Amino acid sequence: MLADRPLFEDLYRAYLGRIYAYVRAQVSSSADAEDITAQVFMNAYQAYARFEARNTTPAAWLFRIARNATLDHFRAHGRRERLRRTIEHQPMAEVDPSGMAEERILYRALLERVGQLPERQRDAISLRHSGLSFEEVGMLMKCSEDAAKMLYHRAVKGLREAVEKEGG
Amino acid sequence: MSDSEDLELQALQRQLDDAFETTRPRPGFEDELWTRIQAHRPASTRLRDAWMGLIQGIREAPAVPMGAVAVLLVVVLGVSVVTLSGVHIGGGSGTTASLSSGDQQQFGPEAGRNGPPGAFGRLPSPVLNPVPDKATQPTMAVPSSAYAGPVTLTWTGKLDLKVTSAPVFRYSEPSTNAADQFGASLGAILRFRPTGYLGAYETTDFSVLVRGSVQSPAREPSFILVPIRALAPIDAAGGPTDVAVVFLAQHSLAPTWQYTAEPTPSGDQTQVLLQRQFAVAGYGYAHLVDGSGERYGVEVDLRGNTPTQATGPLPLSLDTASYPIITADEAVRSALASSPPVAASPAPSVALTTAELVYALVVAGDHSFYEPAILFSGSFTVDGKTYVKRVLVPAVDPSQRSS
Repeated sequence: MLADRPLFEDLYRAYLGRIYAYVRAQVSSSADAEDITAQVFMNAYQAYARFEARNTTPAAWLFRIARNATLDHFRAHGRRERLRRTIEHQPMAEVDPSGMAEERILYRALLERVGQLPERQRDAISLRHSGLSFEEVGMLMKCSEDAAKMLYHRAVKGLREAVEKEGG
Repeated sequence: MSDSEDLELQALQRQLDDAFETTRPRPGFEDELWTRIQAHRPASTRLRDAWMGLIQGIREAPAVPMGAVAVLLVVVLGVSVVTLSGVHIGGGSGTTASLSSGDQQQFGPEAGRNGPPGAFGRLPSPVLNPVPDKATQPTMAVPSSAYAGPVTLTWTGKLDLKVTSAPVFRYSEPSTNAADQFGASLGAILRFRPTGYLGAYETTDFSVLVRGSVQSPAREPSFILVPIRALAPIDAAGGPTDVAVVFLAQHSLAPTWQYTAEPTPSGDQTQVLLQRQFAVAGYGYAHLVDGSGERYGVEVDLRGNTPTQATGPLPLSLDTASYPIITADEAVRSALASSPPVAASPAPSVALTTAELVYALVVAGDHSFYEPAILFSGSFTVDGKTYVKRVLVPAVDPSQRSS
């Protein structure tokens, strides 16, 4: 029933920021994060007619699309290409006031370190801190809830070690 | 794990919570993306959403007679179908942008609200561009050899103004959202918002820049379209003007207002200017002029039959209100009084020989106006060089003007 689920716009307004933050933790530039976030919601909009609220939560459904879009992004461009483009676009990003504002936020460096973790650890942290339960994280990462917890805690420890190592 | 390690991990987790909660897209991204999503909505989905919104609204509303609900359903669904089909109902629309490619050619500008006479209150007056001090020398001229220094004016022409009122047109300053809708109507995606512009958009073929009104020299919200790669030549039988019009039509940018076409060839390039006109009942069409008194509108630059650039006003909905205008005699007196007697002998004497009703833009914040004015012109020669002297007299009756 259409009435069983929220209007797509409500979903969009509620989750845009969280999806963006999740994607931003995976990629190296805010421009890429915007592109991928846009793709996520375009795809979600196209697929919303098939969304079944009784099978999954809207959050898990959207993050699954976001996760797939991010993986597609890496597959399509390759990390090396992304790095090259990021470096090339650096001067542009610096003159963009909104980009500067984002770069100034207190936790940018921390998210960059998250982005350098192994893929599954990075994913576990990003999904968990985007507000998903361990059950949902496990569902998305195709593992049990306990395995998701273990993966997450290992990732946080790895992150702490990385922070300490870099003097952060 | 030691207690201190545990505490460190907890602190890191709190930092991660904060990091994810404070990482958000730049301001404006949310609305931009929503606009793009809306642009991709199939008509069936829009109708379904309208239906669901209606049902929800009825559920939330207090009990009303079922007959009234039935009437409401018919009316709202009727409006939904009309809206979704792209048909615009003239007058009464509260939207500022008239962006449908299906806009029909009409007598005058884009349809907006028709207000009662004087509905916009007292109006600011249009002026020609201020001229720098050095313009007091006859050798200083603004573009097209127009002259703006002190002169002694006489009137030798004939001005026949039979109308006693003329419409004033008003538009609301477009928002970034309206600019995004315009970009979407071209199939272009927002790339960024350069300083001073409402947005920069791109398709695979061209870039579009959209900006709002410019105070001085006065210019309405406008677009500039530049191909990213060489476009294919356009095959049109009627020469450069037809090529320009076909190109504009291909991008849903063909003017919905009346115009006269003026192609200006230069080598293998041609500038085609579609000069905008406003309809005045009892008079005919009056050209829009810029701060120099030059006619303007949409401009398309061509190299051969290939468009290289197009620029013009953003299609906006215009509200209309009729205002009383001055008589021909009053216009002439105002024109002659605009250049006070000059004691110094070098001031050239100029005979104004032509006058026409025109429209001039007055940018005035959230709302700006296209106002009727009388443009007087006369040419004169100094040191073998010919100049044009133009005088713009506001046509709206002084009792209806604020300046």
